[in-house]
Amino acid sequence: MARLKITGLHKYYGKFHAVRGIDLDIPEGEFTVLVGPSGCGKSTLLRTIAGLEEADEGTIEIDGEVVNDMRPRDRDVAMVFQNYALYPYMTVYENIAFGLRARKTPKERIGPLVEQAAAMLDISALLGRYPRELSGGQRQRVAIGRAVVRDARLFLFDEPLSNLDAQLRDEMRSEIKRLHQELGKTMIYVTHDQIEAMTLADRIVLLRDGRIEQQGAPIDLFERPATRFVAGFLGSPAMNFVPAEIVGDGGDLALDFGDGRRLALPEQRRAAYAARAGTRITLGVRPEHMERDRGGSPRPGLDRLRVTIDLVQPTGSRTYGTFKLGETEMVAELQVHDVEKPGEKLDLLFDMNRVVLIDPASDKVI
Amino acid sequence: MSGPLSASEAGLGFRIGLFADRRFKYLVIAPAVFILLFIGLFPLIYSLIVSFQNITMMEEDTSFSGLMQYRLLFQDLRLWQSLGHTLLITAIALPIELLLGLLMALLFVDRLPGRSVFVSLLVLPTMIAPIVAGATWRLLFDNRYGPINQVLGWFAGEPMTVLWVIKANLVYPAILLAEIWQWTPFMFLILLAALSNVDKNLTEAAEIDGASTWRIFWRIVMPAIWPVMAIALLIRGLDLFRLFDVVWALTKGGPGTMTETISIYTYIQGFRQFETSYTAAIAFLVIVMLSVVVIFALRRMEIAR
Amino acid sequence: MSGAGAARGAARRRRRERQRLAARYAAAILITVVFLFPIYWLFMISFKTPEEIFHSPPVWYPANIQFDNYAVLFRDGDVITVWNSLFVATISTILAMGLGTLCAYSLARFKTGGDNLAVWIISQRMIPPIAIVFPVFLLYVWLGWVDTYYGLILLYTAFNLPYVIWMMRGYIEDIPVELEESALVDGCTRWQVLTRVVFPMARSGLFATAVFTFVFAWNDFIFALIMTRSEVTTYPVQVTHYFGAQSNFWAKIAAMSALGTLPIFIAVAFLQRYLVRGISLGAVKG
Repeated sequence: MARLKITGLHKYYGKFHAVRGIDLDIPEGEFTVLVGPSGCGKSTLLRTIAGLEEADEGTIEIDGEVVNDMRPRDRDVAMVFQNYALYPYMTVYENIAFGLRARKTPKERIGPLVEQAAAMLDISALLGRYPRELSGGQRQRVAIGRAVVRDARLFLFDEPLSNLDAQLRDEMRSEIKRLHQELGKTMIYVTHDQIEAMTLADRIVLLRDGRIEQQGAPIDLFERPATRFVAGFLGSPAMNFVPAEIVGDGGDLALDFGDGRRLALPEQRRAAYAARAGTRITLGVRPEHMERDRGGSPRPGLDRLRVTIDLVQPTGSRTYGTFKLGETEMVAELQVHDVEKPGEKLDLLFDMNRVVLIDPASDKVI
Repeated sequence: MSGPLSASEAGLGFRIGLFADRRFKYLVIAPAVFILLFIGLFPLIYSLIVSFQNITMMEEDTSFSGLMQYRLLFQDLRLWQSLGHTLLITAIALPIELLLGLLMALLFVDRLPGRSVFVSLLVLPTMIAPIVAGATWRLLFDNRYGPINQVLGWFAGEPMTVLWVIKANLVYPAILLAEIWQWTPFMFLILLAALSNVDKNLTEAAEIDGASTWRIFWRIVMPAIWPVMAIALLIRGLDLFRLFDVVWALTKGGPGTMTETISIYTYIQGFRQFETSYTAAIAFLVIVMLSVVVIFALRRMEIAR
Repeated sequence: MSGAGAARGAARRRRRERQRLAARYAAAILITVVFLFPIYWLFMISFKTPEEIFHSPPVWYPANIQFDNYAVLFRDGDVITVWNSLFVATISTILAMGLGTLCAYSLARFKTGGDNLAVWIISQRMIPPIAIVFPVFLLYVWLGWVDTYYGLILLYTAFNLPYVIWMMRGYIEDIPVELEESALVDGCTRWQVLTRVVFPMARSGLFATAVFTFVFAWNDFIFALIMTRSEVTTYPVQVTHYFGAQSNFWAKIAAMSALGTLPIFIAVAFLQRYLVRGISLGAVKG
């Protein structure tokens, strides 16, 4: 188990500034997910921690030890690659034992260690096979087994599930979570998939253009995003963003969408936004923040709008309806029979307690 | 240990980190580069130096003679003739090799059972030693005991004793025949691979669109294999400067100096006439000329790749 | 009605295709026979008696295959030139492969020396022997290395290095980097990565390149002609010794050439898959 501390890390590829000043402090045993769009620097950051890339500026400390100048083999980290990196000319057993052999572990100890790792990952039956005989999921287990067997202090995962189909991905995700619970090691996991991030992480570090956009527990980032980028990145389907103006209505505050429709802000939020009356903002509404009005008195904080559904997309367990608010197309998550055909009109309730307001100039959540 | 490195020290950020790898990568490349300098740089410098001197069979005059050797070089008719011979052979052999190779490749490109056997057999002429190829054709061309004259005799209706490797107007056909025989399989092999790699989707789409076979070939197939053809032509084109073994076995450059290639002429100057400085001048020019051509061509290809 | 017509049309098409295949086959066989005829002739001469060799019109197939001509080579000791060729070619191939592959690794993974070094190395392969052999010969005279085994081996090694480097660089680049990176993280030193990952992965490329390098050294004439005299004669040079001013020792020419060609047959049989890539300098990955 290890504590990882990164201070002021910068990395350049020629002129390209891939990592722009990252500070990270990860306590022992935590599962940290580095997530972000392509090119955000998450893989570079991971590889720099592993020692496969050199940092240009800043320090990397593992358990208080500065490892910048250490070779990968001396850092006591284990890594699982996206393409599994299994040696095709070795059996599963030999693949897993590889690291132990390279470090001159005594022969008698290699066998039991390999078998233990294989049992943990449910691949004991495959030890004598070659990688080409295995399925994608099995190969991934072997790759993880190779990391597990070394009992390293830090585990690094570089998009390990990207090459698997959706069903396998779900399965392996649970495996990795279970593994973390069993081993309790400090793990750093890179992915571009926000579902993996949400389900696996103790802490999410959302990266963008080489910088940390926000970090924290998954639910924190989801419910209290700091910027528009974070708000739009997490959640599927993505959050809707629609421009609006804050208008003061004699003690009440509402959002005006330009087409004559308005949504009122709930009482407890008015104080925070009163100063911004008359300014334009961007409203962020998640599809699940809207529901069909079934009659009865609405709960406090909810406001109603009449909308025309243009597009209906049923998924079986729920239905997504697209409508227009102002000039913007929005997607609402509805129950299966709320709407049947395009063109229907609906009364939609918006949960104004949970929507976010964003300053269009800075893209920060206010 | 001292702190992290600045951007300039880290270099271009290669995929595998540097660290003590810096020592490793130089250590590992050093012996090979050292030996290569032996055949790459040393002859160049040495030739340059000696070419400015005046060492011949008679005297070891190592005084600086300026550009004398080079002036002689430009005036040496026999040298330019040998260059002309080399170019003549190249100019005739290459297109024929290319055409024949292409036709053969087209024949083999579609599914054909046992194709790999055919290919293995057909590649043999290219793989045997050029001197052996030359010797073989020498035997084939023999005026009395060679089968070529025999076969000609069948067509002519009477015995033929054609002096292939002796008569002036026949030596070039003889040399060309041997050269083409040896190197057409090279073209064939490369073009076969190139044709096999042509995207079937393109040709099928054209077929559906109604294009004729001829049109498909010219507009789709040829442009697709042109890069490979260019490389093959470059390799063979440069190789023809090495033309020595086959000609040596057939005619030794004769009759007289009629079939001397530039390699043969240089060899004679250096190792029969012992015109050391003169040979050095030729060697230097050849190295420089070819290096420029090759580096230029390689850069263009690397950029395209 | 239309069904039957379609069936007849299909049958006609199949017959046409079979005819086409047969025609192609015939052409293929014809071409192969034509191209192999000279080699056939060479071997036939080596099996003929002197009467059969010097028979006009020429005999296309000897009455009996007899190995006397080969026996002569053994008896006269000329066959030692084949041994010389084997020795020199093998050692120089091993050296070239060893040094060249290491160099290729440095070029492939570290881009050492950048584009310039790589281009310079490759261009060395294009220099014709005649341009470099002369100064090297003078150096050898000065060092006393003419007509020695190590002299010729060094020259072959040096001359084949660019080819080895060029080809192995390509084969190494085909190996996924993750395999090496994983090994580094797992605890391998750079040398261990080479021996435990790179060499096993590049096994077939190593083999193919080695065979090609061997063939180049085996077939060389001009370097052997210039750098050797009587001690280290290789078989190509020996063949030319049989060309006399008055008459040629046909039987010996054929037998010695045939001996020199045998390893080529073996090499081609082994190289099947790598032929195209090997002779096109990796340009075509057929």
